[in-house]
Amino acid sequence: MKKSQSRLHNERTLAILFHSPTFIVLSVITLGPLFYALWISFFNFRLSVPGGQNQFVGLDNYIQILKTPEVAQSILTTFKFMLIAVSFQVVLGFALALAINALPKYQRIITSLILVPMMVAPLVVGLMYSFFLNSQFGFYTWIVNTLHLPLPVSLFSQPGSALITVALTDVWEWTPYLALMFLAGLQSIDTESYEAAKMDGANSWQIFTRITLPLMMPVIVVGIILRSMEAFKEFDKPYILTGGGPGSATEVIDMYTYRQAFVSYNFSFASAICVVLFIILLVCGILYGKFVLEREM
Amino acid sequence: MIGGNKRKMTLTLIYVFLIAYIIISLLPYAWLIITSFKTRVDAFSIPPKWIFEPTLSNYKEAFLDKGFLHNLKNSLIVTSVSTSLALLIGLPSAYAFSRFRIKGERAMMYYLLGTRFTPVVALALPLYLVMAKVGLLNSYLGIVIAHITFNLPFVVWMMKGFFDMVPKEIDEAAKVDGCSWFYIFTRIALPLARSGLAATAVFCAVNSWNEFFMALILTGRATATMPVAIPGLLTPQGTIWGQIAAVGTVISVPVLIFAIIVQKNMIKGMTMGAIK
Repeated sequence: MKKSQSRLHNERTLAILFHSPTFIVLSVITLGPLFYALWISFFNFRLSVPGGQNQFVGLDNYIQILKTPEVAQSILTTFKFMLIAVSFQVVLGFALALAINALPKYQRIITSLILVPMMVAPLVVGLMYSFFLNSQFGFYTWIVNTLHLPLPVSLFSQPGSALITVALTDVWEWTPYLALMFLAGLQSIDTESYEAAKMDGANSWQIFTRITLPLMMPVIVVGIILRSMEAFKEFDKPYILTGGGPGSATEVIDMYTYRQAFVSYNFSFASAICVVLFIILLVCGILYGKFVLEREM
Repeated sequence: MIGGNKRKMTLTLIYVFLIAYIIISLLPYAWLIITSFKTRVDAFSIPPKWIFEPTLSNYKEAFLDKGFLHNLKNSLIVTSVSTSLALLIGLPSAYAFSRFRIKGERAMMYYLLGTRFTPVVALALPLYLVMAKVGLLNSYLGIVIAHITFNLPFVVWMMKGFFDMVPKEIDEAAKVDGCSWFYIFTRIALPLARSGLAATAVFCAVNSWNEFFMALILTGRATATMPVAIPGLLTPQGTIWGQIAAVGTVISVPVLIFAIIVQKNMIKGMTMGAIK
């Protein structure tokens, strides 16, 4: 009795010892800065206005967010981007996963070929597409013109097509992620459930809708949450492809905040936006945690 | 018999779909690599040239004349240091999550997860202001710290999963033999989880290597990593596509090779606990 108690005590000490480096470091380098952002969001800390720096202004910056239509506008743009990108990724990713899973061989090589785009640096993806899609000498333009395809060529000059195109570059880059995740999910489904359904005379469509889809649902939801969150943080590709334009059609919220902070030097206003974004993403994080952690522990 | 034919048909359709997808998805990337070996004239020729005399001049100009060799060095330093530090700090915690039960564990996991859900700009902005104060802007340490903010939680999350796959009985047996926990962790569990460790290391290195936003804000001329230096080739006098393609190729090809080697475990780790 005594021995097991001391052993428990020993484990506790060890756990604290093992955990402390991670949690001390993380608190200093993430929690610290976040609180600092919260702190300066209550001041009018800006480099652009000489003199009036560092006065306590209470909630002024937050009121300013509500009064600035560009903030809501760019959050809306971000959601549009997210919706287009993630819905294509989920459908295409699932189709790819099903296709690969049905293969009797060559699964490994096909997986390797499919994962290529997601390993290319997002910035390089942006540059690559601004070259590939260039309306004068781009390979895409050449194909469209040569084959007389009914597709637009000056993709970045119209607000609508610019946003869709940027979202499609994200589809190009991250569909593999969901495909491989879904594939891993499909492969973890017990073959016995398929066998049993076949014995009962179910056809492949029934097996798909009654067994595969319900069993895959948790994985699909996790995939959607993870990708949506990443899409919400998008910066690199629109930064390179469009610079937020035409107008502000592709100015996602991270880019707007970046501009406020590092172009206009409105640090306090930008910090207030950061706090709001943090809260939005925190809610998503808790949702995700509910799905993953609760299932696991 | 008919069933067999139908199956064959389906399989053919699946192959067609996959091959078409792969061709379309690899085309822009292949085009980037091909362009990197073209002269300026060949790069812009219409119709695009498939057969041309390959040249290394883009690589030579970008890396030797424009100083990308220096950015390559910076990228290597930042990637290797931030990955090793994240592993060094995070591995014990990952092991503890897998083996020891303590109160508040779930809250701690949520906290780690929370850092992944933090908008980059919400971290980068205050980090910039703090680093400006303490003189860490444009230093290796500054950007390494910034990259640890996202790599450390990844290490703990991914490695917890891989430690979970090492049978607990092995630990218990070693414990009975009188080995210390530290010995078990470093000499038994870690070697047994090495393929997972390799995947985690590669994944973190890729994150750091490809990262743009933090590096854009926190590095300067002397410490700029490759992704940050590339937009410098988009000059007002015109864009030097050949050299951009060369640098893009150098950034992405090594990553691909490593990723394909450890792909199986990396994919497992990337799903962040969604799949057992």
